[in-house]
Formats: sequence, structure tokens, C-alpha cells
Amino acid sequence: MIRRLQSWEGGLLVIFLATLALNASFAPEFLTVQNQINLFQLSIEKIIVALVMTLIIVNAEIDLSVASVMGLSAVVFAYLLNLGWGGGSAALVCLGVGLLAGLINATLVARVGIPSLVVTLAMMIGYRGFARVLVKDQSLGNFPTWVTDLGQKGLIGPLPLSLLLFFALLVLLGVLLHRTGFGRQVVVIGTNAEVARFSGIGVRRVKAILFVLSAVIAALAGLLYAARLGSVRGDSALGFELDIITMVLLGGVSIFGGKGSMLGVFLSILIILNLRNGMALMNITGHVQTGVIGLLLIGSVLVPNIVNDLRGRRARV
Amino acid sequence: MRRLLGAASPQSLRLMALFLALLGTILFFSTQIDGYLSARMFNRISTSAAVILPVAVGQAIVIMTRNIDLSVGSILGVVAYVTGQTLAALPELHPVLVVALAMGIGAVAGAINGVLVAWGRVPSIIVTLGTLALFRSFLVEYSDATTITTASLPAWLVDLPQKSLVSVGPLDIRVTVVLALAACLVVGVGLSRLRAARRFLAVGSNPDAARMAGINAPAVVFLAFVLSGALAGLSGFIFLAKFGNITVVAGLGFELKSIAAVVVGGVSIMGGSGTMLGVLMGTVLVDTIDNSLTRWELVSEFWRDALLGMLIMAAVTLDTLAARSLARLRGKAGGST
Amino acid sequence: MTQPVLELQGLSKSFAATQALKDMSLSVMPGEIHAIVGENGAGKSTLIKIMTGVHRPDRGEVRVEGRAVQLRSTQEAQAVGVAAIYQEPMVFPDLDVAENIFISNRGLGAVMRWGALYHAAEALVAKLGVTLDVRRAASGLTLAEQQTVEIARALSLQVKVLIMDEPTASLSAHEVERLLSIARALKAQGVAVVYISHRLDEIFRIADRITVIRDGQHISTRPVAEVTEDGMVREMVGRAIESFAVKSAPNPVGEVALSVRGLGRAGVFRDVSFDLAKGEVLCLAGLVGARRTDVGLALFGIAPATEGSIRLHGRETRIGSPGQAMALRIAYVSEDRRKLGLAMTLPIFANISLPSLRRFLRVFGLIDRKAETAMAEGYRAQLDIRAPDTGGEVGKLSGGNQQKVMLAKWLETRPEVLIFDEPTRGIDVGAKAEVHAIIRRLAASGVAIIVISSDLPEVLALADRVLVMREGRQAGLLGIAEATQERVIGLAAGSGAGVAA
Repeated sequence: MIRRLQSWEGGLLVIFLATLALNASFAPEFLTVQNQINLFQLSIEKIIVALVMTLIIVNAEIDLSVASVMGLSAVVFAYLLNLGWGGGSAALVCLGVGLLAGLINATLVARVGIPSLVVTLAMMIGYRGFARVLVKDQSLGNFPTWVTDLGQKGLIGPLPLSLLLFFALLVLLGVLLHRTGFGRQVVVIGTNAEVARFSGIGVRRVKAILFVLSAVIAALAGLLYAARLGSVRGDSALGFELDIITMVLLGGVSIFGGKGSMLGVFLSILIILNLRNGMALMNITGHVQTGVIGLLLIGSVLVPNIVNDLRGRRARV
Repeated sequence: MRRLLGAASPQSLRLMALFLALLGTILFFSTQIDGYLSARMFNRISTSAAVILPVAVGQAIVIMTRNIDLSVGSILGVVAYVTGQTLAALPELHPVLVVALAMGIGAVAGAINGVLVAWGRVPSIIVTLGTLALFRSFLVEYSDATTITTASLPAWLVDLPQKSLVSVGPLDIRVTVVLALAACLVVGVGLSRLRAARRFLAVGSNPDAARMAGINAPAVVFLAFVLSGALAGLSGFIFLAKFGNITVVAGLGFELKSIAAVVVGGVSIMGGSGTMLGVLMGTVLVDTIDNSLTRWELVSEFWRDALLGMLIMAAVTLDTLAARSLARLRGKAGGST
Repeated sequence: MTQPVLELQGLSKSFAATQALKDMSLSVMPGEIHAIVGENGAGKSTLIKIMTGVHRPDRGEVRVEGRAVQLRSTQEAQAVGVAAIYQEPMVFPDLDVAENIFISNRGLGAVMRWGALYHAAEALVAKLGVTLDVRRAASGLTLAEQQTVEIARALSLQVKVLIMDEPTASLSAHEVERLLSIARALKAQGVAVVYISHRLDEIFRIADRITVIRDGQHISTRPVAEVTEDGMVREMVGRAIESFAVKSAPNPVGEVALSVRGLGRAGVFRDVSFDLAKGEVLCLAGLVGARRTDVGLALFGIAPATEGSIRLHGRETRIGSPGQAMALRIAYVSEDRRKLGLAMTLPIFANISLPSLRRFLRVFGLIDRKAETAMAEGYRAQLDIRAPDTGGEVGKLSGGNQQKVMLAKWLETRPEVLIFDEPTRGIDVGAKAEVHAIIRRLAASGVAIIVISSDLPEVLALADRVLVMREGRQAGLLGIAEATQERVIGLAAGSGAGVAA
């Protein structure tokens, strides 16, 4: 554990502090705790999903459909609320939608054996499509006040429900990945699925569980998104998967599976949130910000490749 | 019947099934929508498919090498905008040069993808997810939030979508359609006739064997992405001609459409196989369903994406299951101590 | 006097601790079928790798048609006319057979002429004396047909020397005939064939000359007419006093733990029957392609048996998955450390605890790291695993220590039946002795052990009984007292003459 804290995570810490310093030089009020809480709030749904995406990528899989599940769940929530449903039952249905989506993904990947890239790419289109069927080209709002309050106001002190959920999930999923038997299985399967199989691990079962978990948490995030924004549209959460995957890969998780830490992902989240905010302070538009994120995404795989090559070349000499 | 099916290659069977699906779709919609089997509908669908076809062809080449290109939509947008802007400044530019410019810009973008995937060894899903955002952000910065309008474009370009090259009976074949078909044909012929082009399939079919056979796999993959970018550029040109008004969201979502067209068209997502005829039919099928849904009263047009997703999933699932049962039927001899 | 088409002079090659080739010399005449025989580990694969440019010799020279060559890659070897085909063919499943055949050809022009391609491919295949539909995709081909494609590919490159490495290992009898006739056809074309095989009967049928190698050295080269099977076997095997003491009598054993009758898996192996008692060591001996590993995979549920019966402690069971096997206290230590046995980038303790993880889980599934580490430390001491601590990556250990980690992993599952596949492959002599000692200790403690091994001295040092397999079938079951090297190889290689089971 200590061994891993050097190199990647250490580097991330340095980058994070540098980002903070840079942002503070633009706006000194940046360094308050309240501001950091606000930062988290603005992207809380993305970072929640990033936590479960970490597990998926460590398992050497990918789930491109998370943003669409989020959108679908948000839309279903708004739709049911507008039909007069109670918030609690509407939320349950949304989680059910997530469960269903997860089961579909899980079956196609684990049972039929189609690569997760293809499955989740297709379902990314499909789930969003179902969202559009429900909401067409309008926006749905009119939530009862207690819902929007829950989404926006603080629950415990200044911390709203979603933030509490994030930290709870951070701890839970972090422990799950790094400290439990299930997490060990996830890592081994991502390292070498054949070795896992030859050691008696139920590879299909683990993968299925992960895809269901991913979709359910995405659905939960969708709920929080709807509550926070107060209204939803057919393109809610469109494109979120870019940020989410970047947060995971920048955090030191290998796209090839088997390697990565929740701590690294947390640091990477801090960096990306502060980076986006800093760019906004510099009047850089959202689109360009996204471009920078895209650059970070590519860099987080390219740079280790280059470094490994150089190291290998040195060793050979 | 079984003997007939057994004698035909899997590819031919697939194409036949695709053709029947297309026929069935057209027949179905003709019963649901008035005036469906008309010249006007033909024009609508053909010109609309003409925008997607080049992108789909490029995507097919990339997928054949066992990669994927999610950035084609952004490339299309960049090309449409930059080309439009250039034309607004230099309206005297010869049409052929304009097309060359469009494809050139696309090729450069594709080269960026290609370098990162082939020699940076970054998985294509990551590279193109990143460049999807990068190219789009470039477009936003470059355009400075201004739009290209038809007013600023030369007349020949604005009129191009209406111009027909040839008329077959009551049906007009528009210039843009011919352009798209030509690209499809050239690539199709190239893939089956040019030895160098066969390497795309070899690399996707068995990357290890390709290396052992002396094929420069990274160069082949690089070229695939360059071609994909260039063809996305061609689509960008046709898009510019068709719509005239280009905003920063031009081309959004086109990558998903191109993948749908390619997958439905029988190109294996695992690489190594596929035909341009299939891509053509897949594009037409996907676009026909898309365009028909907007006119179908029974089902709201908002079902488009949902159906698209399910269509891709159905095509891939069927292909996977079919390939598996074929392998089981033929039987494989294993090898171990 | 014709000049040899391929000449190896004084080749020596070492890898780290092992000397694979010692002053090896060989000459191959054009158009001859030259067989090379030797036990596993005699140096055949190193020889092939040097001939095809994969490795460079430390000392010595390679000459093609009288000219000395420095081969640095398979492409360079192909350019001078030396190519090899292996057990795993490299074909492009989506491309046609004809295209597969000509894929490596450089000078064929930019434009594909399919008609000409098909004709040329058909002609090539005809030269080999077999029929193959060159117009269909290669994905539908059987292994034997894929091999034919590779041979045709070599022929299209105008190969002068074609090396065949255990080509018949996975072929049916009919396919073997086909391959032998292809070899003869190549000979008729003037191509020299270097035929490496354990199958002595095949060698006697097609070889012109036979070279025996042993321990990396050239022992003899004789025209086939001058070779007798007994003599050849003796040359393959004959060695000085063994460093390992040969077991003379079996150890006392307990009750029968595992009983197997008529075990088989369709198309892979069949008719394997034996009883295994507690504390007994049964060695599965045989040559490459005998399908011994498949028996292990069937008993462990990775590739389950389709026929026959398995009884554990008298009760009949079906083993359909590794989980089921593990529940029955069967453990399988794989022969492929890298790909199947260990997760190289994970720490030692994580590898050891993997199959037994449940035992280290406390409330909420949390891993008891202390207990896990203590367990791993215990094995480090017990098996003398040389590593600074148990937290290091397994991939950084030497082969012998990796083997011990694999063993520790399965020992922790407290197996009643332990299947050990190639226990000492790729490890040095010292570690070898240690692993043997561990196996003996385990047997003494009552574990029923199956050792799959291609190392004959090892088999004879460990076994209470030896089950010899040949081409997927049981060739014989010998008690240690009656098992001699010649007898085992005789059964394994299939001569059968004068050697009773």
C-alpha cells in the first residue's frame, strides 16, 4: 500500500496542489471549504458514477452506457413525479430501471459474451432513446419542493444528501475494492481472467454483479441529478461518460485492467473539478474545457506508455 | 434449402438477410405512410443517406482493423465549418479543390488519431473518445460562436443538393448521392482488389499472424484512421452542401449512426471481415428507418434512438450467436499436451 | 558430392543458467527428409529457433547452400529459404485460403487478381498432393488443414528447408497419413524437410536420415536403414549416473481416494483408468501430444470429461467446473505459470490466498490481512520461497520460486488430490530438488498426488506408479519396480514391439 502511494498517487497530489495554487492566484476566495463543497456539488453525479466505473475498468471492462442510464433514470423520475407519484415510489422505480438496464448489460456481456465496449455503446444509444421517448423534446420539471430541497440544500451541516452519498460510496466502494474478497476477485479477473478461472473464481458472476451495480448507481445518480437541477430533458447527462472515464484513468487505473486505487481516483476527481472551475474562472467555455478533459484522457494512457518504453529501453542498454 | 444455405458463404447469407430486411422495411412503411413509394421520398432518403455513407465507409475500414473511431462526428463538424468559412472567404475556389480541402482537413484529424492508436498504443476507444471532445472544442474556439450561413456560401454549393447528375425514370440521382456512392465504390473495389488494402482485413483478423507475415501493422492502422478522417471530411462537405447553416453542434451523434450502419451492414465488430455493399445497405436501412419514423403517425419520432440502439444490439447479438454456432458445426481440433 | 542445403556448425547456446545447445553440428541435404529425435529438453526447440532466426547462437555458424548467414528474424530466415511450421498454425480466419497462402509474398503486384490467385493456390496445394478448397474462408479449416495452408505458404515463398515441429501431435490417424504424403511431395519438389517428432513409427516411414540429440548435443546421424528402434531409444535416453536417485519400491499407501474408469473427453482423450490411493504418487508420462494435461483439466473441471466415471472415496461424481473440483478437494497446479497459474503483477500473498480466499474473509467480506500475511509467511518458510517478503510481485521471482508460490497456493486449499502439471519446468536443478522433496513430504502426509511430467528421470524419481499415455490413450500402467526408462519411452513412443504393458 505504501509502495503504491509513491509514483502515480503522489504525482496526482502534487498536480492537485498546483491546480489549487493556480486557481487561488485567480480568485483568493477559491481556497474555502465552502467553495470546494460547491465544486463537488456541481458535478456530484459524475463523480459518484466515477467510483463504480473504477471497479468496472479495474475488471478490464468498460461501461459506456452510464450517462444514458443516468439520463433515463432522471427522465423517469420527472415523468412519474409529474404523473402525481410520490417521491419515494418514483425513486424506487428509477432504481428498478437501473437494475433492469444493468441486467441487460450483464446478460449480453457475461452470458452471451459480446465485448462490453460494443454492448454498452449500443445500449448508450438505446437507453437515451427510451429517455427521449418519454420526454420528447421538452423539459420536465415541477418537482415538489421537498425534492429540490433535498437535491440542493444541506442535510447535515452544509453537506447535501448527494455529497454525503458520494463520501459514503467512496468509502464503501474503496473498501470493497481494496479490502474485501470480492474486490480481490475483481482485481485478479482484470489482471488475468484465465488465472482467475483456473483458481476457481466465478468470472461471469463477478462481471454480472459489476454491470448491475454500475447501472443501479448510475440510476441513483440520475435521481440526484434531477433533484438538483429541478428539471430534466432528453439530453440530460449527455456526454458525461467522457468526464467519468477520464476521472478514472487519470486516477491511475489502467485501461487494461488489474491496476488502480480509489485514492488515486479521488485525487483525480479533485484535480478535474478544480481544473474545470479554474478554466471557468479564466472564461474558457464549456466546450473547450471538455476538450482539455479529452486531452487529459489521452494523456493518462499515452504518458505511462511512453514512460514504460523509455524505462524498457534503458534497461535493455 | 439447407444445402443451398450451406453452400452460400456466411457473408452472402448476411447480405441477403440484410437485403430482405431492407425490402421488408420499405414494404412495411409503404403500408403505413401515404405517398411513401414516391420520387420525393426517394430523394429525401437518398440525399440523407448520402451524408452518412462516406462516414460509415471510413468507420468500416477502422472497425475492420479491430479498432473504433468515435471522433468522426466531431471531424465532420470541423470540416463542414472550416470548409464553409474558407468558401465564404474564397468563393472562387474550384469545387474539386473544395472537396480536396474538406478531405484533407479530415485526413489530418484522422492522422492525429492514427498516430496515437498505432504508435502511442493507446486503445482506439480512449483516443477517439478524447479527440471527440478535442476536435469539438477546437471547432468551438475556431468558430468563436459564429455560424456559417447559406448567404455566405457560393451558389453552386447551395444548389448542389438539388442538382441531379442523372435521372432514372422518375427518380433523380443527385450529385451528392453520386459522390457518396463513388466513395463507397472506390473503397469497395480497393478493398477487394488492392493488395495493400487487404492488409486492413489481415490486421483485424489476426494481429499476431499479421506481424509474423511481415505486415507493418501500426502503419496499416494509421492509414485506416487517416482514411476514416478523410471520408468523414467528405461527409462534412456533403453536410455543408445539404444544410448550409453550420453551427458548433454540426455532426453531433454521427459517430453512433456510422457504427450502427456498419454493424447492421455485416461488418464484424471483432475486425477482419465486411463488405462495402453491406455498409451501403446498412446505411440505407438505418437511414430509411430514421427518416420513416419521423413520418409515421403511429409511433412518435422520438423512438429513433431507442430503435437504433436495439437494432445495433440485435445485429451484433445475432452475428455473435451465428458465428458461434457455425464454429461449433464445423468443429475445431484443439492442441495441447 | 552435393552440397548440404543447410549446415549447422558447432552451435552453442545458453539461457541464463541452462546450456541448451553444446557444440551442435548438423547438415541437411537438399530434398531429404531429415528426422531429429530427442527427449523433451534435449534442445530441439532451441535448435529450431536458431534455424529460423528467432535466436542467435552464442557460438557457431549457420550456412545456407554453403553461404554463412546471420539470421536476425523469421523474415530473414524466410528470405534465405528456411521456414518452420508449428503446432499452432497462424492463419487469418476471415480471409480465403488462397489469400492466406500468398499473404507473405512481397513481389506479387499491387492489384489482386483473384482468378490467378485461386489458380496458383490450387496448383500449390496440388503439388502437395492433397485437396483443399482454396476459395473458402480459413476459419472453417481443421487444425490439419490450417497446417496445410502454412506449408503451402512456405512453398509459395520457395522454401528450401521446411522445419516441421511435432506436426502430427494433434492430428488424427487419417490426417497423419495426409501430412506424411505432403512431406513426400515436398521432397519430390526438392525441398528438404527437417522432421521433428516423437512418433518413431512415422519417422521410420518417411525419414531418409535420423539424427539423435541429447542434452543439447549431437549424438548420431544415420541413414534410416542403419537405425534400429531399440538402438535409437537407447541413444535418446542413455545417460550417466542420474543425479536423482531412482525410486526402487513404492511407498506404503492408504485407501483409494480417486478412482477413474474409462475417462475420456470427445475428440481429445479416452479410456483412461486408474486408482489413486492416499499418499500415492502417480506419474502421467508420455510425449508431446499425449494429452496428459487434458486428463488433469478434466479432473479439475476446466475441460470436463464427456465419458467414463470418476469416484471420490467411493462416491461417483461429475466434475463440471473448477469450483466443483475444489469443493471435492481436488487441486490442479497448471503447467503454464505465466498465463494460467499466477497473476504476475499481484503480490505473493494475494496469489497464495486466491483459491482459498473464503477462509480469510471476516464480517462484510473484509479480508483479514494479518491472517493472510501470516499464512503466506508460513509457506515462505515451509517451502523456502526466496523473496524479501510476501508483499512483492510474483512476477519478480525466479522460476523456481514462482513454482513454489503456485504450489503454496494450492496447498492452502488442503487438497486430498493434488494434480501437479510439469512441476519443475523451467527451473534450475537446486529448485527442482526442493520441489521433489516437497512432493515427497506431501505424499507422506497422505495427499494423493498425480504428477504430469515430460522429464523421465523426474518421473522415475517420484512415482510409485507410472501411467504412460500415447496419443490420447492409456498405453500402460507400470509399478515403479518394473518401470525403466526404455520401457516407459517404448510405451510412450508407440513401438510396442516386445514391450508388454
